[in-house]
Amino acid sequence: MPRSPANPPPKPLSAPVLHILLVLADGPKHGYAIKQEVESRSEGSIRLGPGTLYEAIQRLQDEGAIEEASAANPENGQEAQRRYYRLTDRGWRVLRAEVRRLGSLVARARANPRLKKELA
Amino acid sequence: MIRAYRALLVLYPRAFRRAYGDDMAATVARDLETVRRRGRTDVLSFWAFVIGDLLKSAGRLRSRQVSAALRRRTGGDVPRLPHREERTQMETFVQDVRFGFRQFIRRPGFTAIAVISLALAIGGNTVIYGMVDGFVLRPFDYPDPDRLVTIGVTFPKLSSETTYVEILSPAEYADIRTNRSFLRTAAFDLGNRNLSGGDVPERVFTALLLDDPFPVLGMRPVLGRGFTEEELAQNGPPVAIISHRLWQTRFGGNPDILNRSIRVGGTSGSIVGVMPPGLLLIGTDLWVPWGGDPKSLPRNIRQFTMLARLRPEATLQQANAELATTAKSIEQASVAAFKEYDGWRLSATPWAAALTREVRPAALLLIGAVFFVLLIACVNVANLQLARSTTRQRELAVRLALGAARSRLARQLLTESCLLAIAGTAGGLAIAYIGLQFAGAVIPAQFQMLGLHAGLNSRVLIWSLVLTGLSALLVGVLPAFQATRTDPHDSLKADGRAGTSRTGRLRQGLVVVEIALSVVLLLGAGLFIRSFMKIQQVPLGYDSKAVLTMRLTLPREGYATSQAITAFFRQLVERTRQVPGVTAAAVASQYPPLSSFSGQVDVEGAPAAGTTLPTAATTIVSRGFFETLRVPVMAGRGFDDRDRAGGQRTVVVNHAFVERFLRGRDPVGARVRIGPRDRQGPWSEIVGVVGDARNQGATADVRPEIFSPMEAGLGSWNQLFLLVRANRPASSLLPDIRRAVTSIDPQQPVYAILTLDEALAASTFQQRIAAILLVLFAGVALVLAAIGIYGVMSYSVNARRQELGVRLAIGASRVAVMWLVIKDVLLLSAIGLAAGIAMLLAAGRGLGQLLFGVQPSDPGTIAIVALVLGAVALVAGWVPASRASGVDPIQALRYE
Repeated sequence: MPRSPANPPPKPLSAPVLHILLVLADGPKHGYAIKQEVESRSEGSIRLGPGTLYEAIQRLQDEGAIEEASAANPENGQEAQRRYYRLTDRGWRVLRAEVRRLGSLVARARANPRLKKELA
Repeated sequence: MIRAYRALLVLYPRAFRRAYGDDMAATVARDLETVRRRGRTDVLSFWAFVIGDLLKSAGRLRSRQVSAALRRRTGGDVPRLPHREERTQMETFVQDVRFGFRQFIRRPGFTAIAVISLALAIGGNTVIYGMVDGFVLRPFDYPDPDRLVTIGVTFPKLSSETTYVEILSPAEYADIRTNRSFLRTAAFDLGNRNLSGGDVPERVFTALLLDDPFPVLGMRPVLGRGFTEEELAQNGPPVAIISHRLWQTRFGGNPDILNRSIRVGGTSGSIVGVMPPGLLLIGTDLWVPWGGDPKSLPRNIRQFTMLARLRPEATLQQANAELATTAKSIEQASVAAFKEYDGWRLSATPWAAALTREVRPAALLLIGAVFFVLLIACVNVANLQLARSTTRQRELAVRLALGAARSRLARQLLTESCLLAIAGTAGGLAIAYIGLQFAGAVIPAQFQMLGLHAGLNSRVLIWSLVLTGLSALLVGVLPAFQATRTDPHDSLKADGRAGTSRTGRLRQGLVVVEIALSVVLLLGAGLFIRSFMKIQQVPLGYDSKAVLTMRLTLPREGYATSQAITAFFRQLVERTRQVPGVTAAAVASQYPPLSSFSGQVDVEGAPAAGTTLPTAATTIVSRGFFETLRVPVMAGRGFDDRDRAGGQRTVVVNHAFVERFLRGRDPVGARVRIGPRDRQGPWSEIVGVVGDARNQGATADVRPEIFSPMEAGLGSWNQLFLLVRANRPASSLLPDIRRAVTSIDPQQPVYAILTLDEALAASTFQQRIAAILLVLFAGVALVLAAIGIYGVMSYSVNARRQELGVRLAIGASRVAVMWLVIKDVLLLSAIGLAAGIAMLLAAGRGLGQLLFGVQPSDPGTIAIVALVLGAVALVAGWVPASRASGVDPIQALRYE
């Protein structure tokens, strides 16, 4: 079976993963808050089911992009039991790389005269 | 609901479930609160979303888990035995297959039983599916058959029935054919035409066409061309297209057939095309444009059958909606002149479904029943496999102890069950191939004439492949599952002797399933036998024994007047009566069991009918008809010389007619008219009342019937049946009757020859086939169930040897020990019986429609089935039971 090369170029992040990272960039949050924030920011265009949400969280944790944080100012007992997640340094790097990738994509798109006119 | 969601979390890998399960459930609970406020549909769509999300992500995580496991396995971080080589998937598979084969060869008895029972079951399923496919689901090989529809007509004023064949007049067809949902349409009138010009006159089943039906069917001639517009137009040039069958039989497949002239019923036309082989338009062989003037026929002379191909973008619903509008507008325009239009309905139905609608329920029932046989066979083989896997416990335990993965063992067992299923399928296909050759034999001659056939086509093959996969799964999953739960420690210690009690209970459960399924089949068979017996006992009202029937059609050209037709048939009856051995003879336009031609009637002095117009079967008969069929005259007289042309118009009616229209009056002397009430025709006097002969089949109510004397020559019916009662066999009688016919007209053929008993059998053939096949299936099921019971009980006796030995040693009698085993057998049977009865009753409503005179819950049938099952179970349990009582206590104890 052919093995993949040692250092593959970073793959584009899936939409749920990117949105979760973006939300966590504003500060640590617990799972349900991440879900609500993602859904409201995308104006409902992205719907995170619990399975997809925690699958992504597990993956990001496994890859070391996010980690559990001790709860930031617990408001009440219930909130305190929740697990909060925050970006790690690696998570910031991944997010930056992805935003850069998207930025260059947008820049390239804007270079097209017809697109540029319509976007202006 | 949240609890159900939590339960579904099992689908996730355990680690994931532990880490996030609580949080996920909490998320769902919070969302649910918000969604609940928005209403029930939102809650439903929320759950659909959440569960879909769960399935998708669980699927991804699981597949990642599996591939990670695979990587680990090949990664080399597990301690291994020396010299163990890495195998590819393919090598493993080949190794499994070879190992499986060795296993089978080592146990030929088991292998033979497993393969034979699977082969019988798969073969049976393939035969039944092939027959249903060929005769019912896809009787015609037209392209895109689902878009080919026919028009059904319902006249609620006349009857609640929807009919499809010979139901439209040319004027009605002209109104319907312009519907936008139809790409192309055609209509045809079925009839028999004399084809002359050879040595022997021949009857050919002919369709007279309005528009060209072949483009509608999607077929092209193999030779020549289709009809042109001009040929199809009114009074177009006389042309004909013939079937492949007619081309081969009548013209010897002569390639120069085109433009040859043939005489069809007296007129000549030239042949312009030959169609490919296969069934076209209800088995007709000759196609001629109708060529008449639609306006020359009244709207209520309905003898055309319509075909239409839907436009690619049109749906059946659209077509039906349009037809409803068409029907409405015809009703508004013509209801004043034709009362039956009041509330009439037109509907489009796929052609095959319309033609086979009556046999569909029975066909589906048989498919279901034979599928049960397959289930039983699979359960049985699974059971045998389980027994084997118990004795193989040691082998599996050793392999596990040596480091084999459990999944690897499961895979091995599944491969073995696949091998069994494939061998079974090979045998099954051989059985199906042979079986389908004989399938035609059980189909009555009338249906064979239509050219229907069943064979192993691709659909049937795909079906049997699906069955193979299914049976491999059914057979293999349980043993595989069981094997992976083997504990090497226990198994090795226990010396592979006693299996776990879990396996025992599982096997008992399987036997109960087998018994339950067999009970369903037994009950079905019993009910159909009883129903069929009830049908046989129905008083027919006529004597069907020793009557030969045949059909004659006089060409219009030779017999232009009703006098000529009447004269021919009178002479025919006279001469037939003189044939030695003939005790009675008559001609009739139709005869029981199926007198389907009916019309509106008007009874003088009868109160105006309520919601429906009065209708009755209208039949033309010659003198001697009632004597020939032995239908009793109950009042007045039958037909005699007083009923003749130019005399008083007379009719005879049946008892049902009197019950319906002349209740409480003296029927003899009452006057009736055939035809709609407002058509002012002449009255006919009822001179006699005859007993009710079942004229709509043996199982349906007798329809009112009105008989007119053929001798009066009022209807110029050129197509009549000759009915002959004789005291010698039909085969020796027929040549004499043919001679009688040709002595009057040498060019006149007779056809559709069959005895009245055959006609009767054809009308009940559905019930008969269902009864025969169900008995066959039930028999197979019973044998399989008996094997299952025997296997399980032998196994359990073996496992309990010691216990039984101890019991015997401390003084239990042999009878008591036998009873221990028999008790188990009876218990399993009782549970299976109860489950089977419950299953049958659950399906009872659908079954009830197919039964006659017996309810699905018929206690007599249930009692008999219980007895039969009990007897078989006892026989199957007897051998293990007597073996149990024969256990030598000393030996059994010493064994320890």
